[in-house]
Amino acid sequence: MDCSEIREAFVSGAAVRSAEVEAHLRVCPHCRELFEHDAELGHSLAQESAFALPFQDDLFAALEADVAQETGLRAWLRSRPTRLRFATVVVSALLVIALGGALRARPDFAEYPAARLVLVLGVYLVGIVAAFGKELYLSARRGTLADHVGLLLGALGLPFLIAFAPATEASRHTGPEGALNCFLYGALLTVPTAALLWAFDRDNRPTMRTVCLSAVSLGLSANLVLELHCPSGNALHLLLGHASIGCGMARRMVRRAAREPRLGIDLCERSWAI
Amino acid sequence: MAAYISGEKAAFRELFQRYTPLLQRAMARDLRSPEEANDLVQQTFLHLHRSRNDFEPGRKLKPWIFTIALNLKREYFRRSKRRHETSLDDERTAEPFEGPRGQERSDAARETARALAALPAEHREVIELHWFGGLSFPEVAEAVGSTVAAVKVRAHRGYVALRARLGDDSPNPDQLEVKPSTEGLH
Repeated sequence: MDCSEIREAFVSGAAVRSAEVEAHLRVCPHCRELFEHDAELGHSLAQESAFALPFQDDLFAALEADVAQETGLRAWLRSRPTRLRFATVVVSALLVIALGGALRARPDFAEYPAARLVLVLGVYLVGIVAAFGKELYLSARRGTLADHVGLLLGALGLPFLIAFAPATEASRHTGPEGALNCFLYGALLTVPTAALLWAFDRDNRPTMRTVCLSAVSLGLSANLVLELHCPSGNALHLLLGHASIGCGMARRMVRRAAREPRLGIDLCERSWAI
Repeated sequence: MAAYISGEKAAFRELFQRYTPLLQRAMARDLRSPEEANDLVQQTFLHLHRSRNDFEPGRKLKPWIFTIALNLKREYFRRSKRRHETSLDDERTAEPFEGPRGQERSDAARETARALAALPAEHREVIELHWFGGLSFPEVAEAVGSTVAAVKVRAHRGYVALRARLGDDSPNPDQLEVKPSTEGLH
């Protein structure tokens, strides 16, 4: 006998302290509580659990109407299996990073230390993939922000750390100029992935969890591209032109998600593309 | 669920009939009106529809649906700035959800509902999922993203506080210092 069978016995009115029940109660402190004082608690919960609401045709009709509107490209995309959505977003982000890095590679790339390249790629890619995974896979979202604050701080802090460790000798002698160009280039390259994340999102409106994780993944993607693209080792340039992308995104997205919503099914999807 | 994925429309109605009462009970206790609860139930099924291709044959559907529903409920409270955990700790004043007109609870059931509503959210949640959602403790653990041992400890604390409230054999259940035993947590 287990706890569920004890519950079912109460609900069906057949809860008696048989030898089988006693055996379970000896090892189960919380089920013992149900039987205390003539099983008052068990009977009370059973009585409350019997309170059933009738099937509501109007509610089902409204749901059917909502489901009937689930047509078109976005409906098809968001209903793809999560493994496919995840793989598509990861591949897309990697392609954009590779393309963005290769098309306008930093002039001192030949001098870029291989060990640093491996370390930077590894750390960034782990963060990006982890953020995509957390965003797309279903899990119990208990703490929204609290659960992801470590990832968020790490993602926003990583570019700051890199800003104080120039990669090459040439990069040590650069100025802050061109920060805006880097910011625009990095932000522009996040657009395809951001659009995919939006298309794959199954919520009617992006949740705080979604926007935080999007800011993490997109901010890291942009900074990885810029690390491969920009030779600057100037701290001010890196902070203003590189690190600020993730911070700006996080701020903008959080503010957008925090707007007061209206309850109910809203199929008029609102774009939150940055 | 497998029938629904394969295209049987009647299967969706069957799912709705089977799980709506459980979801309504799980949703309604924290909300101020049946309409709010119904909206969240409706969103849960819409989310289920969007996620249907993620369902793996052989997997239990109930914890999955409840995970979706609880996420939606938490997001609703977060968005509406109604810190329900805090408000519960501050003693709720709202009456428990009563359902449609014409149905009445007994006084005892009403008292149970009130006592439940006054429990801390984390204790109440596992009790409601187990008793009213019909989830086993392993399923509750899956739905809330915790361990079986942890949800059993939470249930135990909730039961102790509930019994104190229902039996009125304690001056103030909020001040109870519960020391749950982990003996037999399985």
